[in-house]
Amino acid sequence: MSELMKKNDKNLTQYRPVTDILEREDGFYIYMDLPGVEKEDLVIDLQEDELTVTGRTSYDAAEGENFTEMQFGNGEYRRTISLSDIVDRDRIKANLKNGVLELCLPRVEEVEPQRIQITQE
Amino acid sequence: MVLDFNTLYSPFDRFDKLFEDFLRPGFGGQRRLTYPPLNLSQDDDNIIVRAEIPGVAIDDIELTLTDKTLVIKGERKAEDGKYFRQERPAGVFHRVINLHVPVDRDRVEAAMKNGLLTVALPKTEEVKPRSISIQAE
Repeated sequence: MSELMKKNDKNLTQYRPVTDILEREDGFYIYMDLPGVEKEDLVIDLQEDELTVTGRTSYDAAEGENFTEMQFGNGEYRRTISLSDIVDRDRIKANLKNGVLELCLPRVEEVEPQRIQITQE
Repeated sequence: MVLDFNTLYSPFDRFDKLFEDFLRPGFGGQRRLTYPPLNLSQDDDNIIVRAEIPGVAIDDIELTLTDKTLVIKGERKAEDGKYFRQERPAGVFHRVINLHVPVDRDRVEAAMKNGLLTVALPKTEEVKPRSISIQAE
């Protein structure tokens, strides 16, 4: 089952990128290792509670090269993370640097306590 | 719970992963033992070493060339914060690559792009393949 599902039309191997999830004072941060992925080949979708990151590597075809060792190659990265209601969906920020995607997920600002006025007639 | 990890801990993912490792020779198994993963190749002029080292700037990578080896050294630093999940490797890494042919030390080039380190080591003139012209009379 898995192998069939994990091959797409281009026959790229699919990888789950290694991911760190951590919390700081201003919110949550997700770091994903996506080496070889250009910004243009990276897609981040937010659908309801599911945040999906998809990226494709574009290493040049090494023509005329003779490989003696090959421990990585072209592939597609895909990973889905579920978000809770605490995350402010409108203020999510994403930045790609040195092959690492940083997602910043701020918390929803606390709802101000409110006193309800009573009217008397 | 703040972030729901159910998709990460799904038993199916683990099952898939188990098979993936078996069905993907070359990747997977070795990948975890040595860091960073390397591709080694050569063409007529160069020996080319490629390594996936995301999150490290080129200035933080130390490349040392000795007579017969190229050493890649560096450190991946963990981010500050309260971790819910940590899969990305952190710490000092160190890989030694044996070079079987002499290289031109002064013309070695290294570049880093999107987490991919590429080092091109030109072969010295003596070991380059060359065509010998045969004169027929």
